[in-house]
Amino acid sequence: MMQTYHQIARGDTLLAVDHVSLSFGGVKAITDVSFDIRKGEIRAIIGPNGAGKTSMLNVINGFYHPQKGQITFKGLTRSRMRPSVAASQGIARTFQNVALFKGMSTLDNIMAGRTLKMHRNFFWQCLRHGPAMDEEIKHREFVEDIIDFLEIQAIRKVPVGKLPYGLQKRVELGRALAMEPDLLLLDEPMAGMNLEEKEDMSRFIVDVNQQYGTTIALIEHDMGVVMDLSDRVVVLEYGHKLADGTPDDVKANEDVIKAYLGVAH
Amino acid sequence: MQSQEKTFPQLLMRNAALRGDRPALRHKYLGIWQTWTWSDVAEIVRSYAQGLYDRGLRHGDTIAVIGANRPKLYWTMMAAQCLGAIPVPVYADSVADEMIFVLENAGVKMAAVQDQEQVDKVFSIMDRLPDLQWVLYDWGRGLRDYDEPRLLSIDQLIDGGREHLDRDPQTIKQLDDMILSGRGTEISVILYTSGTTGRSKGVMLSAERCIDAACDSVAFDKLNENDQVLAYLPLAWVGDHYMNYAQGLVAGFCMACPESADTVEQDLREIGPTFYFAPPRVFENLLTRVMIRMEDASAPKRWLFHTFIEIARRYGEKILNGQSVPFSGFLLYALGEILIYGPLKNVLGFTRVRVGYTAGEAIGPKLFSFYRSLGINLKQLYGQTEAFLYVTVQPDGEIRADTVGPLAPHVEVKLTESGEVLFKSPGMFVGYFRDAEKTHETMTEDGFVRTGDAGFFEPESGHLKIIDRAKDVGKLTSGALFPPKYVENKLKFFPNIKEAVLFGDGHDFVTCFINIDLTAVGNWAERNNVSYASYQELAGHPDVYAMIAAHVEDTNRILSYEPMMAGAQIKRFLILHKELDADDGELTRTQKVRRGFIAERYAPLITALYDGTQEADITTEVIFEDGRKGAISARVKIVECEIFPLATKEKAA
Repeated sequence: MMQTYHQIARGDTLLAVDHVSLSFGGVKAITDVSFDIRKGEIRAIIGPNGAGKTSMLNVINGFYHPQKGQITFKGLTRSRMRPSVAASQGIARTFQNVALFKGMSTLDNIMAGRTLKMHRNFFWQCLRHGPAMDEEIKHREFVEDIIDFLEIQAIRKVPVGKLPYGLQKRVELGRALAMEPDLLLLDEPMAGMNLEEKEDMSRFIVDVNQQYGTTIALIEHDMGVVMDLSDRVVVLEYGHKLADGTPDDVKANEDVIKAYLGVAH
Repeated sequence: MQSQEKTFPQLLMRNAALRGDRPALRHKYLGIWQTWTWSDVAEIVRSYAQGLYDRGLRHGDTIAVIGANRPKLYWTMMAAQCLGAIPVPVYADSVADEMIFVLENAGVKMAAVQDQEQVDKVFSIMDRLPDLQWVLYDWGRGLRDYDEPRLLSIDQLIDGGREHLDRDPQTIKQLDDMILSGRGTEISVILYTSGTTGRSKGVMLSAERCIDAACDSVAFDKLNENDQVLAYLPLAWVGDHYMNYAQGLVAGFCMACPESADTVEQDLREIGPTFYFAPPRVFENLLTRVMIRMEDASAPKRWLFHTFIEIARRYGEKILNGQSVPFSGFLLYALGEILIYGPLKNVLGFTRVRVGYTAGEAIGPKLFSFYRSLGINLKQLYGQTEAFLYVTVQPDGEIRADTVGPLAPHVEVKLTESGEVLFKSPGMFVGYFRDAEKTHETMTEDGFVRTGDAGFFEPESGHLKIIDRAKDVGKLTSGALFPPKYVENKLKFFPNIKEAVLFGDGHDFVTCFINIDLTAVGNWAERNNVSYASYQELAGHPDVYAMIAAHVEDTNRILSYEPMMAGAQIKRFLILHKELDADDGELTRTQKVRRGFIAERYAPLITALYDGTQEADITTEVIFEDGRKGAISARVKIVECEIFPLATKEKAA
């Protein structure tokens, strides 16, 4: 599908969430939340368990359809969209629980991220020669660049099911990067990692942001990581927006302290 | 064998003229092996040399080379040598503090480094290096935002040089003159020793001696342009510079650089080198991993593996040595080659190895014969940076695990009264850089070099046996000889023991620190339902202690058969609560133990070993990889072992 978008400059709004509400039956997951993500920034979404963070990401990439409100991505407003459309518009994501093809190699998993960029039809793909091969080589080169970038050369041919968790997370990031996304959604990229793996992952996130200029929205529980990495933070609690601002603002916000640390009764 | 060309750049030009289309260098990049022929390399090196010249590198200047085995870093050495400048390879994993000594001592004018990590390191010590004018980098990731006027990419330099050469024919002639006028007596490279005993020293090697030595060994092992090696050992180590760089240029063979340090094993398999060099440690790790994987295999596979390994043990070495074996043995071995040895060698990347060497440490006899029995022609050599490597080397047909072989071609050796080995070799060094005093100490008046190693020639075979560092060989109060390394090596032949440090000089009996091997012991623990959370916990486990005690007693039994060494049996030992680590200064960068430092750091434990207590407390400071410091404290148990009386010869046989 070919659509033209406004050219968005660094620092302008890439994605705007406008008064979005989402409920499952009687359960209100998100209530009237608005915030924006600017091009080139690292935006963190934080909040206690059940605050609606992952639901928010699911709304952004079209997996859930909000009952109220709308989302504007690259100047196009929408209220309903399928994940595949979101993907073709340039939104990629990783998942809280690693969602890779366990039996496939690292290389094949990341190549899968290029699927949307392949244009040759089924016939040529079957032939495995001519234009489809040329295309494949071009994509392979791109993928090898990512492998090099994430320093996972040693596991290129290893089935991902055999890899330790930290590396699987890295492969998942690689697959998301293969889509050359404009907006990268990371759902708890560091959950369950040890300190060293967290440090590696933080470095990769910053590198992705700086080298490829990718805008990143991430959910993370490790406050140290969030405050170090992100340019701006939005705080959710029970589906409501509690605070929004720079890490320092958020840290000083009394509501946030209350939500996170609790108050004496 | 003598070479007409007296410097490495001259050899490079010869190779480009003689075998311009043959591969000279390979590097795996983006998953594909990229190849440069000798003419490609000659062209790039010339451009690079011009680029360096334009930035002010002159005859006699030094340039540091810091990083892993990557083509551009090898080209840096060649390009510098074209100008008569001297490359100084530096261990890439040394921390800034260690690096500063070398860079300061060498007075480097430029530094060619691999990546951001090394750039950061060099810039962090820049203010102490007034001579340093340019930092060149190979791999630009993360460096885009660096606003540093003295930072340049190697590509930029090569392109600049190429353009200059294209533009101005005068420079081509000037460069040719520089290459042709290079003299063999000039210093070709400075290799810093790893500093097992104190500060490292810059060993100056002259071009013609390097080339003479390499010519000798190329002829000795019949290496030619069809050979192939994988360059994966540190650039700064004499082994890499000799085996790959010098021999490669002399013989014209192809050197392959691995994709990254983690992929060496896969790269080895893909390249299939014909000449292979590794310290015993590498062979040991490979074997440990093979064995662990076999433990996890299904029962029929295990049976097949062990049956044929047993057959190989019985006949393999004999077949390799050309000795006679029964016809049935021959057949069984041939079957094993199809079923087990061939595939195993393929997995390890040894299928095409024609000559393999191991050196640097003693190798366990079992380990050594394991590889030989598979049909891999593994040999030993003894050498030193100061010798530009070979002092002794085992020729085909005279291979043994317990000696380092007879003298290498054109080498002279004599022993002092105290047993120290002195040598004169074709590649021997010219002197230590900016350290006339040390040079004087090391060179005897009649031109021999002191190795600092104690050894003796075995009368019947003429092979040299190395016991230990001469200054480490001590005496117990009883007067018995105390050669720590000799015993430590025997201990380290057990896969469960990674490192051992002996004490005893001037004491009544011998005691020992042990480091367990986490891979081997961890696997044992898994199979025996021993649960542990950390190295420290596993090291202190009673079952582990019992196992190690058995190993120590076995070692004592072996020692009791050797009249010279029987006094050095270990009476008490303990297992250290942490692994000895180069970052903490306990090991050198080449992973050798620094005895003096360890004795100081763990003084309370040594006292406890000698005062008869059963337990001791210790707190040590550790430095994490990112430079932060922490402390580990532990209570360490001490165990006594049985000492065996000197056994008679009959028993030993």
